[in-house]
Amino acid sequence: MARTASSNRNRLNRGDGAWGYAFIAVALVVYTLFTAYPVVSAFLISFQEYKPLGSTYIGLDNYTEIFKSSLFWKAIGNTVVYTILTVPVALILSFAVAVMIMPLRKWMQTTFKAVYYLPAVASGVALSVVWLWIFDPMQGGILNQLIGAFGIDSQNWLGASSTSMFSLVLMSWLSSHGTSIIIYVAALLGIDDSYYEAADIDGASFLQKMWHIVVPCLKPTTLFLLVTGVIGSFQVFQNAYLMTGGGPDHATTMVGLLIFDTAFKYFEFGEAAAQSLVLALMIGFMAFLQFKFLGKDVEY
Amino acid sequence: MKKGSRFSVSVLALMVTAGVLGACGSNNGNSPAANNAAGNTGGEGAAAKDTITALLPPVSPTYQENFKQMEADFNKLYPNLTLKIEPASWEDMTQKLDTQVNAGSPPDIAFIGSEGISKYKQLDMVLDITDTVTPEMVADIDEAPLEYMKNGDGLYGLPAYMEVHAIGGNKPFLEEAGIDWKKVQQSGWTYEEFREAIKKGVVKEGDTTKRYGFVFATAGVASKDYLAILVKNAGMPSPFTKDLKYAYTSPNYLEVLKAIRQMIDDGSMPKEISSVDAGKRWNMFLTGQTMITGKGLAVFENSSMKNNEKIDANDGSAVKDSVKTDYVVLPVPTFAGQPAASAAVVDGYVAFRGKKEPTAEHKANVVKAAYFLASGQVAAQTNGDLFAAQITDSGRKASESLPSKQSDYNKAAVQYLLSTAAPARPDIPAELGAKAIKLETEVIVPKFQALLAGETTPEKMFEDVKKAAVDTFGEDGVFK
Amino acid sequence: MSLYNNQLGNPLFKFVRNMILILLLLLFALATLFPIYFMIISSFGDPVEAGAVSYSIWPGKFTLDSYRFFFAFSEHSYRWLWNSLIVATVIMVSNVIFATAAGYSFAKVRFRGSKFLFGMLLVAMMIPYQVTQVPLYILIVNIFDIPNTYSALILPSLVTVYNIFLAKQFMSSIPNEIIESAKVEGCSQLQILTRIIMPLSKTVMAVMAILTFMDAWNTFFWPFLVTNTMEMQTIQVGLKNFRFANTTYFSPMMAGATISAVPMFILFFSLQKYFLEGVTVGAVKG
Repeated sequence: MARTASSNRNRLNRGDGAWGYAFIAVALVVYTLFTAYPVVSAFLISFQEYKPLGSTYIGLDNYTEIFKSSLFWKAIGNTVVYTILTVPVALILSFAVAVMIMPLRKWMQTTFKAVYYLPAVASGVALSVVWLWIFDPMQGGILNQLIGAFGIDSQNWLGASSTSMFSLVLMSWLSSHGTSIIIYVAALLGIDDSYYEAADIDGASFLQKMWHIVVPCLKPTTLFLLVTGVIGSFQVFQNAYLMTGGGPDHATTMVGLLIFDTAFKYFEFGEAAAQSLVLALMIGFMAFLQFKFLGKDVEY
Repeated sequence: MKKGSRFSVSVLALMVTAGVLGACGSNNGNSPAANNAAGNTGGEGAAAKDTITALLPPVSPTYQENFKQMEADFNKLYPNLTLKIEPASWEDMTQKLDTQVNAGSPPDIAFIGSEGISKYKQLDMVLDITDTVTPEMVADIDEAPLEYMKNGDGLYGLPAYMEVHAIGGNKPFLEEAGIDWKKVQQSGWTYEEFREAIKKGVVKEGDTTKRYGFVFATAGVASKDYLAILVKNAGMPSPFTKDLKYAYTSPNYLEVLKAIRQMIDDGSMPKEISSVDAGKRWNMFLTGQTMITGKGLAVFENSSMKNNEKIDANDGSAVKDSVKTDYVVLPVPTFAGQPAASAAVVDGYVAFRGKKEPTAEHKANVVKAAYFLASGQVAAQTNGDLFAAQITDSGRKASESLPSKQSDYNKAAVQYLLSTAAPARPDIPAELGAKAIKLETEVIVPKFQALLAGETTPEKMFEDVKKAAVDTFGEDGVFK
Repeated sequence: MSLYNNQLGNPLFKFVRNMILILLLLLFALATLFPIYFMIISSFGDPVEAGAVSYSIWPGKFTLDSYRFFFAFSEHSYRWLWNSLIVATVIMVSNVIFATAAGYSFAKVRFRGSKFLFGMLLVAMMIPYQVTQVPLYILIVNIFDIPNTYSALILPSLVTVYNIFLAKQFMSSIPNEIIESAKVEGCSQLQILTRIIMPLSKTVMAVMAILTFMDAWNTFFWPFLVTNTMEMQTIQVGLKNFRFANTTYFSPMMAGATISAVPMFILFFSLQKYFLEGVTVGAVKG
């Protein structure tokens, strides 16, 4: 019986390999040309002293340079702190919002989703102007007015090393969850009603359903958002660059910013490439851990 | 494994080489090689066709509108030559240029700051035009700004303007505080005088400060401008002394750091100064929250006048809560009895080369295009818009016919500042310059931000800078 | 929608619960909407160059002049919008098709090297673009020699790893039985993909469409690098032309930003019905 089943499956799966390759063919070509090739170049450059008119191979010098640099490790530390403070909060917030939207009427669902999605369409310039106003250190600053109402003294948000990291984290908390909310809502809609029906028959409470149905069913989505979130957060550069320039006293220097400086301020392309590969290795390790602990795709 | 990687390396190398050759042949159809070939087959080559590409940001509001006109005018002047202007936005243009340079295919001409030359020279991607500029061109351009376009023995471009980064005050407030601004404009002031003046400029209502004496934009990376402008007037016009020792280990540097803290502690500057950005401080100037602001450029007089007009129109278009202001150009105070040395910024048209050495002919054409942009009508118009002084004879002549809204006393003040401008230092080797930039980015700016935020003391910061300088340049490489 | 126990509560309980939810959602919405509000408000200001941003919650003046100014500023204003539309649409369509196919392949089709290839894709995501941008530029501009073309703008984003990953994660929760029973009925893999998987994945495809379009529409740096004439610039690159050395045409820039947000709205609302209809497996089976 078991044997027939497996041979049946084999028969059914015959030819799948070819289809498998066919489905990824375009993706693979695009990937090879526009992603793999630049990455391989970067890998080669990391062993060079790069000059457009002719580079020289210098072995592992770029890598030893990194491991000697205390600033690189400080930047890694800052990035880890930033990631730990932002990514889980972003996941929880967007999950909560997605769940809260679900019982509402359709038009309200639409409206709220549009509302949360909106900040993503705003121009970066508008956003940065507004955030500078929010963090304005003078009495007129929005955040200072807010905490002033609770009797707290005005803070020099972006200008002091005690608050600058927190300010960047706050900025991330309050902006751009649109993408993850939309993805979570889509995933929630994908859960088959029959699960809930079965649970209702068993008299399951809201929290029980949440824990036994929603959380496991959303695992692949959560994994996706977690991995891409961590990758994004490790490469974060724009906010630190625009809002604090990494300061004060390197309190907000992130690896992304450091790589940018190395590549474009000091024109040490080889070292920048080496830095990014070390960074990629770390991200890769973390992604591996995430896959290991969350990665078991839910089987039905 | 080894074999495999060698194979991929050689394939890659092949691809890159092929690409490079391809690029040389067809980079926007303007490459030296292609033109050269065309020139040779064309026979005499006297009037061979050539295209010059220029990467230009919107230098002034009218600049970009005039691109078409510039291209046409240039073609009229040299019928065999085509000027192809690549527009780029102001803040991102460096990154575009850097990418193009690193890819080995920069434009022929790019508009950049003179301090950028050494960075590209390190990669051997700038073009030395010393032997190509004609004596007439050199005679037309003022010497001081032209010096800025030099590095080592080479001349790498032609200057567009020379602007002084100074400070600026609001006339009614200055007079209210009893400051003889006319005298300051003509002969400068010392830090001690300045400190008293900005103390007098403070207006308080109970405990809250309604108006500060002095506000300088220092948020993020802008903080380096503040420090750089001040130390120039403390006997350190350049990061390196004449005998090429790193200058910022001088005790005068500590004096400046102490003064910076002092002005904040006096209450003349806001204690939150470390997060005041360029937009915010100008807003504070227009809304009467500060008497003096920095960094100041001559063109701010124009912005101030425009806002006054809007206040008069009373249609709600003026900056919210703004008051009428009258911008007065002021010099930066001097420290420790040192002579004034104003921070001059020279931007200009720098010549670049691609992977292949350009032909002499193409090089000459590039210089023609750079000179066309840097002189005469184009320069007159641009510098007029920017309230910047003309730095070519031909530009001065062409600007006579253009109207100017700049007040005479500010014009004179700018001239005074230009006369005290810190001289160019083409003798600083590119390698030393690069080290200084790295030291500035990784140590000075972060520590300085901490100093402004009150998280470190001037003495501590001075020690940190000194230590880092010795680490970078060696005991003998720094000023003692 | 029976995650919530509707049958348990009385109507009053349900009403109160929904009111609390709405209140919470509104509070959070207020915080995230503020920048947009500011953008739109500022766009109704005067189209004069302002040395400083006017920090105010209410507009001092209401005029459409900035919108007129935006379109009059450059003869290419419409062209920028058009370029962005073409580029973003092509990228969106190709991503939805090819990333869905690749995602399905990685999630459900067994073939040799599938895990390895997928790992390779993910690894590439982890390299910061600051470093890959120069080799990519060399490839497009020097080797392929296609600067300043639509191809240069589109090709690198034809299929993104992000979308493949997204599709794979969603499809991994489609029950294997559906695919197997389709095979028993003699469907080929292509038929399974187009007749079963794609209808079942409408939600994620809609999500992918909107996110990809938005991303392509908002990209600034790559179009900025590979275009070298005003005619080929996209709207995001064009908007930057309003910034000068020391001054900015603030209101027209905000007007442009507002205009550039409109297509994304239209797309969002036109794809809305796919977002809202949970595609039930049962419905397809039956």
